[in-house]
Amino acid sequence: VIRKGVIGQLLLLGLAATLSMPLLAAFPELQAALGPPSVSLLVGAFVFGLTMQIADGCGSGTLYKAGMGVPLNMGILPLFALGSFIGSAHLDRWLALGQTAPVGLVDQWGAGPALAATWAVLIAAGLGVRAWAGWGKAWLDKRWVRGALALALLAALNLVIAGQPWGVVYGFGLWAAKLAQAAGLFDPTANCLLGPGRAPAAPVADAAAGRHEHHQHRHPGRCAVGGGGQAQPSHKALSARQWAVGLAAGFLMGYSSRLAFGCNVGAMLSGISTGSVHGWIWVPLAFAGTLDRRARAAPLRLLKADL
Amino acid sequence: MTPRRVAPSFWLLLLAFVAWDLRHSAPLNLWREPPLLAAGSGQAPSGGHCSAPK
Repeated sequence: VIRKGVIGQLLLLGLAATLSMPLLAAFPELQAALGPPSVSLLVGAFVFGLTMQIADGCGSGTLYKAGMGVPLNMGILPLFALGSFIGSAHLDRWLALGQTAPVGLVDQWGAGPALAATWAVLIAAGLGVRAWAGWGKAWLDKRWVRGALALALLAALNLVIAGQPWGVVYGFGLWAAKLAQAAGLFDPTANCLLGPGRAPAAPVADAAAGRHEHHQHRHPGRCAVGGGGQAQPSHKALSARQWAVGLAAGFLMGYSSRLAFGCNVGAMLSGISTGSVHGWIWVPLAFAGTLDRRARAAPLRLLKADL
Repeated sequence: MTPRRVAPSFWLLLLAFVAWDLRHSAPLNLWREPPLLAAGSGQAPSGGHCSAPK
């Protein structure tokens, strides 16, 4: 399943890039998902990869699992929003540790060369996965092809309609920011979440315009191990320790998602498919975060505790 | 907290937040709606994105 899933994700990235990069070149008002290569990105992507394993879902994974009625993810969602908001508020300090300007391959090279380079790296990665898994084994089925095609089309449609690629975690932070602002705990004009150039009413108006709360129900980039697709509403309570670990992971996941300039959707899918170099940096760092065995086992332990 | 209490609390809080947001946010201005399709409109999107530092 993991082998087919990786190839399916690579196919999704390639198809989305095939649709998105020519659009970006043809319509200058469309924007790529450009994040700055930075210390913030390195730390954020690694922590995000680690914590999404513990929390058994990334940004959109938390959304749909909360909607499915999984208690832990219902608890994680508000903490993810809080973490995303605080991460946004701290982002300027993280960026002060070191950053370079965002690099967009379409801007630098044009759509054709950028797309060719993207496919070349994706094919190389796919061959690497096949060599690791064994050449004789099945590596793709129709469901993954159909899913990749559907998501690529929807991602391109998002770009055409909204003018910017698919994203998730900015909306989470906005929810918490609204509450903090209403409570008088946060001055939006003095912080990088909104920036001095954005009036306090701006994000509200933006949200009303439906411009930056793009949610998805599911995407294949979430957890490679541990409960992916197995989530069921639990009927037994987790221990206090399991709750504490899961909720803390959810908070850190939200915080790190802003440091990483996106999650599996905003940074990986949207970043790579629109030619942002930060998406290519995000992937190996987040993958490294998932390699911790204890983190990978956490969802399985939670699942066993539920059964 | 038991699962039976988590689900009702979650949905109640979410509905309360949506209701509060609808009540306190600026009303929609239909005369300042963005174009239906950003592509070809000549207008760059003004909303935030998670990949952007601001």
